[in-house]
This record gives sequence, C-alpha cells and structure tokens, in this order.
Amino acid sequence: MSLAQLSGFMLGSLLRLREHQSRLLATALAVAVVAYIGWKIVQSPDQALQFAFNGLAVGAVYALLAMGFTLVYSTVWFFDLYYGAAAAIGAYGVFYLRSHDVLGGQYAVNSGPVNVLFAVVTAGVAAWALHVLLYRRLLRRVSPKALLVVGGLLATAIGVYTGLVLANPAELHLVLSPLVALLVAGVAYWGLGHAYRQLVDSTGRRPIAAIAAAAIVLGAFVAVLVANTPSLGLYLSWGVACLLSGTVSLALYRGLYVTMRERANSPLIMLVASLGILLAITAFITIVFRSAPRPLPDTFGSEPWTIGGANIKGFNVFAIGLALAGFSILLFMVKKTAFGKAVRAIGDDEEVAKVVGINTTVIIAIVFFIGAVYAALAGLVSGHDTAIQPRMGLLLLLKGWIASVVGGIGSLYGAIVGGFALGMLEQFGIWDLAGEWRDVISFIVLIVFLSFWPQGLIPRK
Amino acid sequence: MSIATGAIRGLQEVARDPGSWWRRSKGSVELWANLIVLGWALVFMLWRGGGFAITVGSVFAIWAVLAVSLNLVVGYTGLLSVGHIGFFGIGAYAMAVLTSSASYEQLRTEAIPTFGWPFFAALPISVVLAGLVALVVGVAFNRFRDDIYVLVSFGFAVIAFTTFLSWRNLTRGAFGIHQVARPAIGPLVFDGELEFLALLLVFLGLVVLISWLIVTSSFGRVLTAIREDEEAIEVFGYRTTHYKLAIWVISAMMAGLAGALLASWSTFIDPNSFVLLESVLLVSIVILGGLASIWGSLLGALAFVMLEEGMRFVPFLPSEFIGQIRQMILGILLVLLMLFRPQGLVGRFKL
Repeated sequence: MSLAQLSGFMLGSLLRLREHQSRLLATALAVAVVAYIGWKIVQSPDQALQFAFNGLAVGAVYALLAMGFTLVYSTVWFFDLYYGAAAAIGAYGVFYLRSHDVLGGQYAVNSGPVNVLFAVVTAGVAAWALHVLLYRRLLRRVSPKALLVVGGLLATAIGVYTGLVLANPAELHLVLSPLVALLVAGVAYWGLGHAYRQLVDSTGRRPIAAIAAAAIVLGAFVAVLVANTPSLGLYLSWGVACLLSGTVSLALYRGLYVTMRERANSPLIMLVASLGILLAITAFITIVFRSAPRPLPDTFGSEPWTIGGANIKGFNVFAIGLALAGFSILLFMVKKTAFGKAVRAIGDDEEVAKVVGINTTVIIAIVFFIGAVYAALAGLVSGHDTAIQPRMGLLLLLKGWIASVVGGIGSLYGAIVGGFALGMLEQFGIWDLAGEWRDVISFIVLIVFLSFWPQGLIPRK
Repeated sequence: MSIATGAIRGLQEVARDPGSWWRRSKGSVELWANLIVLGWALVFMLWRGGGFAITVGSVFAIWAVLAVSLNLVVGYTGLLSVGHIGFFGIGAYAMAVLTSSASYEQLRTEAIPTFGWPFFAALPISVVLAGLVALVVGVAFNRFRDDIYVLVSFGFAVIAFTTFLSWRNLTRGAFGIHQVARPAIGPLVFDGELEFLALLLVFLGLVVLISWLIVTSSFGRVLTAIREDEEAIEVFGYRTTHYKLAIWVISAMMAGLAGALLASWSTFIDPNSFVLLESVLLVSIVILGGLASIWGSLLGALAFVMLEEGMRFVPFLPSEFIGQIRQMILGILLVLLMLFRPQGLVGRFKL
C-alpha cells in the first residue's frame, strides 16, 4: 500500500498527462524526428538515399505482412498469432521444395512423414471445402451416398497429389503442370465467357462448347510450356508454399477457431490459443529443418542496381512491386466485390451479417486463407532477401503487427503506409547505431505511436 | 492458511465417510492435476536419486519464483505480460556484472568492468534495478490493455534481449559472463549444489510468502477487483493505475531476484537464456498452472521442469530435439487449455 502511494506521488503527474500536454509532447517528438532525418539527409544525401532504399525494401515485407494481418483482424477482431507461423511456413515451404538447389544440396530435406502429414491436412481441408461449397447445391440432383463417395475420392486425390508434389521437388515443373493447366483453363473459360458477353453478344446464349475448347487448348499449351521449363521450379515453389500456408490456416480455422469462437469469443483467449499454435509450429519447423539459418536459392535480380549513388537489388524492386500489387488486389477485393462487402459486414457485426444471409463461415475461411497467403509471400520475400530461420515467424509477426498498429488498426491504406513507414523509420533509426538495434527501434516507434497516436496514421473509418 | 484448513476439513470428512472422497473428487481436474504432477515428480526423484533431485529442484525453484511473480501480474490484474523475461535478465545481468571476478584480458573481447562484489551485496542491487526499470516501463505501459498490452510487452522482451546482446561494453554480448560469485555468509559458502538448493528454496518460500500476503491483503482484493471490473473499482475512488503499477514493480523485483539466483546458480550467463521464446514459455507455465493461484504457478513450474527431465529418458528421442518437443507439447497444451479449461489446471480466473 505504501509503495503504491509512494509511486503515486512520484509519478502522478506523468501518469495523468493532460490532453494538450500529450499533444504538445507528440508534436515536439515528431518535429525532432523529422529534423533528425532532415539533418542526416543534408549531411550525406547519398547515404540517405541508400537508407531510403533499404527502408523501402524492408517496408515492402512489412506492408505485405500488415495487409494480411489487418484484413484478418478487422474481420474476426482478434490478433491471430498463427500469422507468424504462416510466414515461416511460406519461407520454409520454398526451402523444402528447393533445398536440393541450395548450396549443392547439402542441407537437402525431404521427409516422408512431413509429406504424408501435409497430404492428410490438404485432403481434410479439401473435403471440408467441397462439403461447404458443393454438398448442399448438388444434394437435390444427386443421391447423398454418391456425393459422399465422389467427394471423398476427390479429396483423397487432392491429398495424394499434394503428397506427390512435395515428394518430387526436383520435378516440380512436371508434377505441377496438370494443375497449372487446370487453373489456366478455368481462368480462360471464365475470362472468355465474360469477354463474349461484354464484346459480342450480351443477351443470347454463349457458345459454351467453343469457349470450353479454346480454354482447354490454352490450358494444354501452357501445361506443355511449363513442363518443358525446369527453371520455373522456383516460382512454382512460391505458389505451392503460399497454398500450403493457406491450407494450414484453413485447417486451423475449421479445426479450432470455429469451435473456440463458439465457446468463448474472448480476444485474449483466442490470442493465447494462437500463440500456442505458433509455438508448436515453430518447434515443428525447428525439428524438421534444425535451428541454424539457411539461405534460399538465388533468384533473379540478386545483382544490385545503382541509382543515384545508392544500390538496390532488383529483387527488392520486385518485392516493392509485389507489395503494391498485393495492395491493389486486396483493395479491389474489399471495396469493389460482393466478397468485400461481406467481409466488411462481418467486421461490423458478425451476428447481423449471419442473419442477413451471409455465409460467415465461408467468408471468414477465405479471409484466413488470403491472410496466410500474404504472410507466406512476405515470409518468402524476406527469406530470399536475407536468410530463413525457424524463429523468423515470431519476429515477422511482431513487425506486421506493429506496422498495422502504426498505420491504423483495421485500415488497409494504413497497413501499406504503416509498413513502408515502419521500414523507413527502422532504417533511418539504425543510421547511428548498429543494425542489431532495428527491432528495438520498431518497438520504440510502436510505443510512441500507441502513446500519442493510438489510432494510427490512417485510422479505420 | 486456506490450504491447511481445507485439508483438515477434508480429512475430517473423509474420516466420517470414506466413500465420499472418491465420489466427490473423481471428476475434479484440480485433484488429478496435483496427483499426476506431484506423483510424477516423486517417482522420478526416487528413481533417479539425490543428484538428479538436487538439479531438478534448483531449476524448479528458479522457474517457480518467476512463475509466481508473473502470476501476480497476469492473474491479479488481468494484464497478459509476455515480457517478464526482461526483468529476469536484468536481475541476472546485474548480479553477473557486479560479482563476476573473471579477468577477460586473455580473451579477444573488449574488457568489461569487474567489480567482484559479494553475492549478498549485489542481490539487493539487482532486485532494486529490476524494480526501477519496471517502474519506468510500467509508467509507459499504463494506458494499454488486453491484446495491445501483449504486443508492447513483447516489445519490452525484445528490447531487453537486444540490450543484453548488443551492449557489449557491459554484458560481453554473445560471449556471456563467467565466474559469477556464489553466495557466502562469512565462512559459510554456498558452494555445493545441496546448499544452494536450500538457499533457493528459502528464497522461493520467501517469494511465496510475500505473494500470499499480498493476495490475501486488502491490497490483493483491490487488485482482484481491478481485474474483474476496472471502471467499477475506479468509481469507488481507488486509483487503479497506482495499484497496477505497484504490483507490476513488486512482480518485476521478484523476477529480478529469480534472475540473480539463476546467474549465481549457473555461474555463467549469456543472452540465450533471455530470448523471447523463453518468455512465451514462462507465460504458458503460468497459464498451464492456473491464473490467480500461487499453488498453480508452483505446479505449472514443476510440470514444466518434469516435462523436460522426463523426456530425457524417452527412448529413441534425440537429445537435441527435447527442447523443441517440449515447446510443441506446451503449445498444444495451451490450445487445449484455452479450449477446455481457460483457467488453467488449478486456477481461479479465466482469461
């Protein structure tokens, strides 16, 4: 009691800052930071440009992380810490599929149990997805027994195919070419049909047979092309890694989060549970890949470009482009499509969204999937940029979390601005310090923002 | 002593009607958790013998002090702090820097100051230092709640770890500090493992006693009220910020004590003992044992230590994976607990 009083007397004034005092302090701080960076820029413009480039390169990763994180958070309103594991799965997925290519294959990893595990998980998720998406619709026309058998077989086939892909990382271009064909044919069918409606005849029946034939030919052509290009392996592995991360996310959502949210929808309980998942997956990755850092294989653009006396790697430019593209896609999805409307409705009030007929389970599942894909992209980009290690997941998660808080929690514009701002501040912050202090800088940025601008740079409307 | 009176009343009832004990307690998770963990520990001690018991007991005592101290914050104010390992590290480094007698001239690193203080002179300093840092951190964190609190406390752990690793002029970075002093009172030097275990248990008893006094006092009741409904208790005129700050500082001082004991016990520390993951493991110990329950924290720490020691004797398990598998088990346990028993094994408060 006396200790409480003592600390109360000493710190009472600090604890109860008036509103205008706090704003004054914040403004002074902001001016000081801007003045410091400005002074640095004037002092040595070349070096400043270099730090700015580094900041953009790091910021691209943070922006990708923050976008997915903020999308998930603004839908289900709890901080899903699995997100960090999703980033690690993305990076290690690429490593798993390309490890024969890294440093002469001396760290090559391909274990049967892991392949089987992922095959089973994918089969389960596929079965659930088929059930949710098709079962009700087809029930009127086909008998339930036949549906169950066909669906089960299909899900098993998908699982076996995943296992095959994981077991043959060196022939990724061959194994994946049927899938690519299927995807291309599907997209072509949809696109051609749409184009026919728009350009030729918007009222009559579409020539389905002709469109389907064209789509199949296109798919087959692309498949042959892919099958004959072994150098595509790396980029295919990116796709596979993202899909795997998304699949695990779906499995967790269906297997755990749905039940948990029904039982006790407390953000802290969900947070602790997902922390447990992060712990378990990090440990799993460490057991499979060991804890030492590993490089990812060389990709394009590892040669630095020199612009105005500063260097930036081509890959980093690609990463920045990826972040911007990812932002545009997400923005389009959330603002312009029916899916986006549903997402916003669920974010505003899930119960009401359910009442007005939105299939919340499916929409939230898709949100989790997209979030995990963005995390995986960020993980593999940062892995190509530096190196990968199992505990990268936790750090990437924290950076994405900080970036989304700095940008304004739940706001997409905030996520991308916050990501790049955090990257820049981090890089300018370590100008006079050693690089190992960058995590400290980002947390100081976080605490300052939370104390003075808790709503972030671009608040959610 | 609620435990003692409870036990006596229970015994009286069992004496009256021997069947009632089994009927009443066969569905009780608390009882089975206690029986399994304690029984497991006992069997192991008897099987492996004295030396094993001494080592396990020492590790347990340090984790238990940490867990009890963290439970004061998490269980009694509802603030889920993931950064407690930072205070643990501050205590350990204060002890190590102040008492280390190693001369580093031969090594190819920068010389760090050596003070060569005795253990009992450095102990209050490390405890107070952890408390002072906690005061500053607590003032900075006082406006945060719930999940944002988790994030900023992660931040504290990261900042502390980076400081230990990168402030090389004081901590020698990744090389660590050797030859930390063992405690001595006059001619009595706590050199052997058994004597040190006795000392650790004395400190553990002290921490448990202080915590028990705190949580059963009026101060503790205000804290419980803050956890349940902060605005309501504010209406009654309590300055909740001050209460939370006070318990935060006390808890950090206990964690600093645990750190100082660790440094002296192992006579060598490096930043690897204070990484973020250890902090997360600590939180999972507290949640596993049970929130707002001192006994729960002791039980959680015991279960944690026994989990690791028990796995050493599982056949076909490579020893380098033990830590990882323990982490995996703890992670899965956290998920299961959140699903089925959010208050932990013997806890009284659900997150």
